Amino acid sequence: MDQTASINQGNPARPDSGSSGAIFASGLIKQYKNANSPALNDFSLDVQPGEFYGLLGPNGAGKTTAISILTGLFPPDSGTARIMGMVFRESENKIKQILGLVPQNIGLYDKLTARENLTFFGKICGIQGKKLAERIEQGLEFARLADHARQPVATFSTGMKRRLNLAVGLINDPQVLILDEPCVGIDAQSRNLIHEQLTAINQRGTTILYTTHYMEEAQELCSRIGIIDNGRLVEEGTPAALLQQSGRANLEELFLHLTGKELRDS
Amino acid sequence: MLKIITATAKEFLLLLRDRTGLLVLFLMPAILVIVITLVQENVMELTGQKKTQVLFLDLDQGDLGRSLQTQLKTGNLELVVWDENRKDMAEIQKAVANGDYQVGIVIPKDATYRFKEAAARLFQPGKGTENPADSMTTPLHLFIDPGIMAGLRSGVTAQLQMALTVMSQEAKITMLSKTLQEAMAGLNVPPEAAPLDSNKLPALFSQPLLTLTENPSNTRATITSYNPVQQNVPAWALFGMFFTAIPIAGSILRERNSGIWVRLMALPVSPLVLFAGKAIAYMGICLCQFVLIALIGAFLFPLIGLPAFTVSMNLPAVLLTVLFSSLAACGYGIFLGLICNSYEQASTVGATSVVAAAAIGGVMVPVYAMPHMMQRLSIISPLNWGLTAFQDLLLRGYSLSAIVGDLGRLLLFFAVCAFFSWKLAGRQQ
Ligand SMILES: Nc1ncnc2c1ncn2[C@@H]1O[C@H](COP(=O)(O)OP(=O)(O)OP(=O)(O)O)[C@@H](O)[C@H]1O
Ligand SMILES: [Mg+2]
Repeated sequence: MDQTASINQGNPARPDSGSSGAIFASGLIKQYKNANSPALNDFSLDVQPGEFYGLLGPNGAGKTTAISILTGLFPPDSGTARIMGMVFRESENKIKQILGLVPQNIGLYDKLTARENLTFFGKICGIQGKKLAERIEQGLEFARLADHARQPVATFSTGMKRRLNLAVGLINDPQVLILDEPCVGIDAQSRNLIHEQLTAINQRGTTILYTTHYMEEAQELCSRIGIIDNGRLVEEGTPAALLQQSGRANLEELFLHLTGKELRDS
Repeated sequence: MLKIITATAKEFLLLLRDRTGLLVLFLMPAILVIVITLVQENVMELTGQKKTQVLFLDLDQGDLGRSLQTQLKTGNLELVVWDENRKDMAEIQKAVANGDYQVGIVIPKDATYRFKEAAARLFQPGKGTENPADSMTTPLHLFIDPGIMAGLRSGVTAQLQMALTVMSQEAKITMLSKTLQEAMAGLNVPPEAAPLDSNKLPALFSQPLLTLTENPSNTRATITSYNPVQQNVPAWALFGMFFTAIPIAGSILRERNSGIWVRLMALPVSPLVLFAGKAIAYMGICLCQFVLIALIGAFLFPLIGLPAFTVSMNLPAVLLTVLFSSLAACGYGIFLGLICNSYEQASTVGATSVVAAAAIGGVMVPVYAMPHMMQRLSIISPLNWGLTAFQDLLLRGYSLSAIVGDLGRLLLFFAVCAFFSWKLAGRQQ
């Protein structure tokens, strides 16, 4: 075993289990029915308030599963998950008030227009009146879709959909924002726009958990990166520290080194 | 509450944007109710709405055939008289066996002669006490399509038998009166002294002494003859309502298979609010569906020769039944949307289960016409509860109080579906 790589291996967030940041997971285990191996196998994570945390992992590593548990979609088989120190079982509504989720699959009604989508999700969050109107305009501006506000989403390009998908996730101005691969399949322009805006949002104090399989993306955006493989966090640190510790030329190499070169989803 | 309105408005918007889907939702039950009512000729025959055609071949061409024709024309049978010079018994048999006609009757050659002979022999002076021999009856040949319903079969044979009995009686009375007259003449009794005017015998015998008067089957109702339209319109409207379960399931599955459901579940909104939005929107659709079908029944049916559908004075109760039935259907749709994993699955499971529940519930074959075991089983079908409520209101003329139980069952069904859907929503993977 490579000496340098083993420095932080295991469960980096586990040791100080008394602390609980903005997004906290400890010892999560999740086994899907009709799956051979667990999707999460002792997964732990601790994201501090105001952090921009990148969760990096190959296909099928368990990123979406971890996010599903963190956002309360379903409970883990064992382990705990907390948002701002609260657990879902007890404070589901409080958590949902401060949580924003941008799902990996685009979560928009195809037949509704951009504005109608923003309106619907805004109202469902309990936002009304002037505040809602404001947020909708902000959202359209954010996604650079003001000129396409009256077009049904079905007519949008992938980039437009991804931007709107993100804007809808921000409609309730969340304190904690969780993004599941928000930039898949889009061009450099859209990606750049999203990156800039996420950075701005983070600078205003929003805690962000960002999953991706693109190294540069994580390196460019995140203040801290965790690498997940086979349902467990295998490495964690700032981009610089990770590079330094591993002695690799770039994160891509470190990533391949840590997660192996064989396909993960075959 | 505001969120329910939001969710409902969104569902309506989505429905309005899906014009073809909406059209199918309305057209499907409308077409069904028209087609099914039109093809239910058997039911109409059974109920005397339409005359049954009877092939009639008179190889004898005597009084017997003529008087049988007159007798049958007064009933519910329509005679199709075949030319005896061009057709024979084998052809009638074939036509009935092929199902071209349901009933055929053949009067053999010399039937009138044999019939009159037999009547005369019966009343030959001095032979009155003798048992009539079998050889004295004149056989008429009857053919019945084995494919017809038992009820129709017994109805037709009873009518024919009745006609034959009447004709035999008439012949006997004529003979009796003739015999009496001759006997009186032989005894030289003056007509005034005779106990009876033998000429009047036929008239006396045809005088009915007993009649049947139909009374309402319950105190509140008025008498209405059984009418397939009153049965079919609510039955197939109900079927259409329960079919909306499939598009509801589809709408949930579209949300689940995109990121929408995941997103909604992370937002501060209960799945029950989302279910309520769907239920209200689709209940609106069901109500429109029912109104459309009722209008077709009321105004289109008379134009195509069917009786008109009428909603009696119980309109509010009927609408309430529509709402509760559609609520049950929506509940089922929501449950399907959460228990199934793809639209294909939901539409197969949904269609099969709704058709089965419709069959068990008496939508296709009335419950009373089912085997005993199925009759007992019919009470488990939500379509049966809706149908019973409709029949109580539309056929039996009951009021709201009579259908409270059925409405309660429909509501309970919705509640159970919603509960399980809610539980499932919390553990979607
Ligand atoms: N509903 C499910 N049923 C069974 N197995 C599942 C289910 N969802 C995910 N899995 C499996 O669990 C593992 C983790 O999946 P997950 O979606 O969390 O990975 P991921 O890191 O998000 O991958 P990707 O980069 O492809 O989005 C995979 O092996 C996947 O096949
Ligand atoms: Mg994923």
